[in-house]
Amino acid sequence: MEHGRSRRKTPEPEKCRDPYLRCAFHGAAQTALGVAGSALLAHSPQGCEYLVNNAFAWQACDYMEVITLCTKLCVDEIVHGGEELLERTILEAKDLPISALFVLSACGPEIVGDDIVAVCETLQPELKFRLIPIECAGFRGSQYDGIDIALDAMLKHLVNRSGEKIPNSVCLIAPHANANPTWIADLDWVKGVLAQMGIRVVATLTHRTPLAELEHAASAEASLLLSHDAGQKAADHLSAAHGIEQVCGGIPLPIGMTNTERWLTALGERFDAQKTAESMVVEGERMAMATCRRKWPMARFFYRTPAAIVADATVGIPLVRFVTEDMEMTPDLVALYTSQRSVRDLLERELDDLDLAPTVVYGTDVYRTRQALAETKPKVVFGSTIERHASEGLGVSHVVEVVKMMRQFRMIDREYFGYTGILDLFECVQNEWTMAWRSREKRYEARW
Amino acid sequence: MQSDSIVFRGNLRQLLGNVESGEMIPKLQASHAPMCKFFTAYYVINGIRHVVPLVHGPTGCPLYMSDFVRTRECCEIRGVPLEPTACTSLDESNVIYGGEGKLLEAVKEAYAKYRPDLIVILSCCCSGIIGDDVENIAREAERTVGCRVLALRSEGFGGDFRSGYEDAFRLIMDLMEPPKTTMKGTVNILGARWGPTPTEFDWDLDEVERLLSEVGIRINAVIAGGCTVEQIKHAREVELNASWCYDWGQKLGDRMQERFGIPYSRTGQPYGLEATREWLLGIAGPLGLEKRALEVIERETRAVEADLAYLKGALEGKTAVIEISEFPGPIRALSLARMAEEFGARPVVVNVHPYTIKERMPSIQYILETGVNPEVILTRGLFHLGSFRSSKETEEELEAIVQGYDDVVFFGNSGRFPPCPVVNLTLMNPGFQPQYGFRGIRNIAALVRQALENKDLPRSRLFRGMLYGTRTK
Repeated sequence: MEHGRSRRKTPEPEKCRDPYLRCAFHGAAQTALGVAGSALLAHSPQGCEYLVNNAFAWQACDYMEVITLCTKLCVDEIVHGGEELLERTILEAKDLPISALFVLSACGPEIVGDDIVAVCETLQPELKFRLIPIECAGFRGSQYDGIDIALDAMLKHLVNRSGEKIPNSVCLIAPHANANPTWIADLDWVKGVLAQMGIRVVATLTHRTPLAELEHAASAEASLLLSHDAGQKAADHLSAAHGIEQVCGGIPLPIGMTNTERWLTALGERFDAQKTAESMVVEGERMAMATCRRKWPMARFFYRTPAAIVADATVGIPLVRFVTEDMEMTPDLVALYTSQRSVRDLLERELDDLDLAPTVVYGTDVYRTRQALAETKPKVVFGSTIERHASEGLGVSHVVEVVKMMRQFRMIDREYFGYTGILDLFECVQNEWTMAWRSREKRYEARW
Repeated sequence: MQSDSIVFRGNLRQLLGNVESGEMIPKLQASHAPMCKFFTAYYVINGIRHVVPLVHGPTGCPLYMSDFVRTRECCEIRGVPLEPTACTSLDESNVIYGGEGKLLEAVKEAYAKYRPDLIVILSCCCSGIIGDDVENIAREAERTVGCRVLALRSEGFGGDFRSGYEDAFRLIMDLMEPPKTTMKGTVNILGARWGPTPTEFDWDLDEVERLLSEVGIRINAVIAGGCTVEQIKHAREVELNASWCYDWGQKLGDRMQERFGIPYSRTGQPYGLEATREWLLGIAGPLGLEKRALEVIERETRAVEADLAYLKGALEGKTAVIEISEFPGPIRALSLARMAEEFGARPVVVNVHPYTIKERMPSIQYILETGVNPEVILTRGLFHLGSFRSSKETEEELEAIVQGYDDVVFFGNSGRFPPCPVVNLTLMNPGFQPQYGFRGIRNIAALVRQALENKDLPRSRLFRGMLYGTRTK
């Protein structure tokens, strides 16, 4: 294998892209929809409502509990301004049984200069619920930028400044910037770990988070970021504005044996729960090994098979070590959706530590991915439905769909984090392995 | 049922009159959002093979289409290869300084990367408001790449659901070249798009293609249901245009008739025997193939005689309460009303929103012209805040409506729980597709049979609770 950084490349800025990530409006909607007992009003043409619906599904919202509204802007509002229509729609919703209404502006109204902040300030006295404007036009960036925009608005509008710190407590940040299609289980796993270590979760930003939790977020002692793609700005804000220190920063999230051990150890050290962390590692590793002994994961047959990882950084970076160490494959390509400095630094450290020199593509799009797959010729691809189709004709034997919820292939949320997460990922490999072996022809016909 | 739950009770013609006069405001409440102009324009353009739809906008708009239409519907379900959903990823700086330069470069890049037969620039809200001249860029770009480059103004705010596909079909006409010959016995099928909305599946298209083939009629292109640019170029060489979904195809058929003089067979959706017969003869007649078509109809009718007899026996004298919801959509529901009447039932259509009437006005008018004018009931729940899926109120109203009739059968989908037989006409169950044509008659007969024979079996408390919450009555 050719080693060296020359193989790590960032695409030149392209004018024509086929991107993986949605726009800022989508990310902001995803974040706002994580507040329980709230509603979301998209100040947008009707098409943007589809992005909200998609974000709704990604947050696993229940339509019995969370309501979405849209002002459905047309030419008239673009020409003459849509503030009046926004006012009318907010007032239409004034009897909804909610604690907060998030008002999100899309591209059109922001370009024509609708002032959603002023509209919200004007109407607030007439309403029983909180109005939170979020200026998150799609052109402001990717969905991850949108998450940061929405978190910023929430932290500045909703978090109380006063309040005592709660000992041994954390504020969890942005788990939904995570392409695990059942990311909620990752969040639950983290909460379970924290409970075992005696650490209290003050607020979760955001998933089924009551407004009261958000208001008290500043009373957390520490913040724990569960994404490598978004939420760092929120962690920085909590630190600067409320003196909340970030824990487990700069290490990959707990996917695979080593990452999990490292992450649990760091958490245990910060909260003086080293013994608990140690016993979780020992018991978790024992359970994972014993289960594998009984079930025989087929992943073991892929020894040093060239592999590719095409994912967001949240899942993609921890997978590098998991694929290399635990499954003994060789990552020849790592293509990440994002390219920010923190992502590069973290991946570079991991690659150096593992002495790997794969082709790395930051900020990849579908075209770049296809080109990179054609160049590197992996046999196994860890990615999504897109790579299943994008790798056709390139000699890829297995596409293990582990990221991106294009189709709902699991009813039960299953984590990738921790020790059960290892088994869940093995199961994904197992199913793909089985499907690839299935005979596509019958040699003769049955007689019955 | 409580009379204050009924907002409108009359027939389809009266409802249309109320919408036209403004008595019923054709605006959906804040939470009901149909597709915008951009989406429906994209749907049509995506139905051409080896096309690059180049979205001049931020990444949100194209990605919905990329995920839902291209990767899931086309690649996963229909065996279509993955092709690009390209965009210029407009950012804040482009919004301030304009994105025309970036667009021109993007077209060149798109051609170099994908070698398509056609590039269609689709503008969306951003590029529309900042005034980027997409048509001019398309003309300029076309001089430097090896394929046609067209531009479509498809800003989401710029029109309704209907305007997107109508404009897209109009644009497609620019690709049609003057005829060099006439393809005898050949037609275009108009009004398709691929990937389709979930209200449209290709089993129905397969059935109409099969029937045409039986009569000896060839299809040049299904526009735009997976057709090639080459087929579109030759579209003017056919003898006749026909639609497979009157709602989507009508405008293109009319325009091709006006501009190119190609006759267009105006028929509704082939649901039931009469509509199927009408559909087939509407095409075969002008081609001089009426006799062969009648032979096919006779043969096919014989094959489904038992099903026709069953449907007549099962539905005669009954009330068919038909609900327009996600699956089937409104035009299909009105086609079902016609079919129910054909088999002796009295159709009552429930909750077709005035917005739907407005956006589909030409099709509704056509349906009325064909003599279909069912009773329509609109309930209060239809106008309240809340999504289609959280329609607990309309469920309760539907249950009350059904109780007001004797001997009633519900035609809709199994997401409803009225106290009567439920004919599950969802298009999401491939076991009973197609619904068009003679094979459709067989499937619909099977669906009616299972509804009537199993009407006393318990319904799922689980699904009901999932849809409408626990402890509903």
